[in-house]
Amino acid sequence: MANHAVSLRRSRLRRYGTSYLMLVPFLGLFAGFLIWPLLNSLYLSFTSFDGIKPPTFTGLENFRRLLVEDERFRHALGNTSVYVAASVTLGTLLSLGLALAFNGSSWPHRVMRTIFFLPSVTSSIALMLMWKWIFFPSDVGLANTVLDWFGQKAVAWLATPGLTVPILVLMSVWGGMGYGMVLYVAGLGAIPEEYYEAARIDGASTWQQFRRITLPLLRPVTTYVVVTGLIGAFQVFEAVYIVFRGTNQIGGVLDSGLMIVPYLYDQGFTHFKLGYASAVAWVLFLIIFVISLVNLRLGRATKEL
Amino acid sequence: MAIAPTTTPPGAAAVSPRGAARPRSRRARVNRHLLRLPFYLLSLTMIVPFYWLLITVFKRPAELAKLPPSFVPEQPVLDNFYDPLWSPSGVNPGHLQGIFQRFQVDFGFWRFMFNSIVITTAITVGSLLICSLAAYVIAKHDVKGRKVVFVMIIASMMVPWQTTLIPNYVIMRNLGWLDSYAGYIVPALAKAFVLFFLVQYLQSIPDELIQAARVDGAGEWRIWWRIVLPLLRPALAAMSIFIVLAEWNNFLWPLIIVQSDEMANLPVALARLNSYFAGPDHQGAIMAGGLLASLPTIAFFLVFQKYFTRGIALSGLRG
Repeated sequence: MANHAVSLRRSRLRRYGTSYLMLVPFLGLFAGFLIWPLLNSLYLSFTSFDGIKPPTFTGLENFRRLLVEDERFRHALGNTSVYVAASVTLGTLLSLGLALAFNGSSWPHRVMRTIFFLPSVTSSIALMLMWKWIFFPSDVGLANTVLDWFGQKAVAWLATPGLTVPILVLMSVWGGMGYGMVLYVAGLGAIPEEYYEAARIDGASTWQQFRRITLPLLRPVTTYVVVTGLIGAFQVFEAVYIVFRGTNQIGGVLDSGLMIVPYLYDQGFTHFKLGYASAVAWVLFLIIFVISLVNLRLGRATKEL
Repeated sequence: MAIAPTTTPPGAAAVSPRGAARPRSRRARVNRHLLRLPFYLLSLTMIVPFYWLLITVFKRPAELAKLPPSFVPEQPVLDNFYDPLWSPSGVNPGHLQGIFQRFQVDFGFWRFMFNSIVITTAITVGSLLICSLAAYVIAKHDVKGRKVVFVMIIASMMVPWQTTLIPNYVIMRNLGWLDSYAGYIVPALAKAFVLFFLVQYLQSIPDELIQAARVDGAGEWRIWWRIVLPLLRPALAAMSIFIVLAEWNNFLWPLIIVQSDEMANLPVALARLNSYFAGPDHQGAIMAGGLLASLPTIAFFLVFQKYFTRGIALSGLRG
């Protein structure tokens, strides 16, 4: 009996041992390149650190400067908010519209879906360079050529502060709506046709069917599209860096395109204020953390285990 | 060339897509087409920029600087890829370097293509192996602490990776991994989202197969390799699409860790090109580089189309 218990314990240990061993690669990398850096960046955000001399503790000084004094950061927050609100709203509406328009299996619908999805599989840097060329300041650019057809003078698109955020929104919506469309098409496919049949028998109009069946049943997809859209939009970087960066200003003319992550890059890797940049990183973290909490994904996922 | 219609998830009866629902009257049908019209027009705004990119690639540099711009290349050339008449001394005015002549590294532009392919492949294969191992334990092993670990990993999905950018940069510097493949690959292997997705997928698979293998005396590693991985194939396909696209386009991390010309991936190489050359006559070579950088992912999409839409749908409906 006792012998049996011992061997059982030993075999369980052996099995457990293997289990833990199988977790080691993931957990090691996870701890080394995510958990530790995360805690480290929290610590660095309370220090002054140039990357060479050891960091010196300065308490809340970074955050005080960031939130009270730093006009550039306030500017970056403002720009990012406008950009996020506009690009996510427009992107989601257009994704839904496209999905409703082209969710059939006929070839025109399939071709349309492919066309709108194409930016999602094209190199994103290539697309940024393409936009930069389209908005070329002289008449050789496509945007100015189109203006020229209507007798308008050439516009310095990328050097006009008021146009910076709208152009960034345009690039984001243009590139992202096909992806949202694919999600919505899948969501539409999951709605049983019987619901619509029943509604039609009851005399519901197309609009009523849309309002009472389609929209409510698409809510999980909408939540997903909006939340991932918000998170992605807050992290915008390369569009600003590639299209708007000037010789000494990362955020374009008068910082009109300065956003949170470009500012983080600017402070950390142009000015080597690594402590200050860590504080920026933690503000970004808090913003995205709040969005994720609202999404309550955590609660849903753990319930299933 | 077209996205296949997404399959209906299990549980839902095979339904015709909603757009195919037959409206009762002719007027309703006409209305439906009218409602679609703006979206057909919108597709022009998708096609025109791509067309502009394509024709730019095949125009001579001199033609790119001409006014008004042409919408069909006067005489399509491949000079923007490689111009045999270009010479460093500039004896042939009007001839500029093609994209393959622009970088002072061995193998020129091919080097960046090679870097991108190596890095993307290594991260995709490596992270799928590592994440599937951990997912197998978390989903199917009754070990202590797995719940805590899983909650922690899910919680970490709320962390924007840029928050760890600065400490990770310092770590790379201390390890001497700046400007190396290790610096690209190793920090990118443990992907919380992939693990989360694989755990969810495994939980929907009954335990019997694994139990049966255990009864037959198969070890855990063997079970993972011979049973779990094949069972996970659709989930791995879906995840590999996300990983490939994300790593192929990865820009901010390489921008920070790459110092030499040789170790740039395609995005960083193109960004550098973009900051050195600005005139309209250089756009041909720049767009040629962009086109070349896009071809692998577009080809990947065309080959695995079915998995793309299915994978995206799966992540959206489950996640």
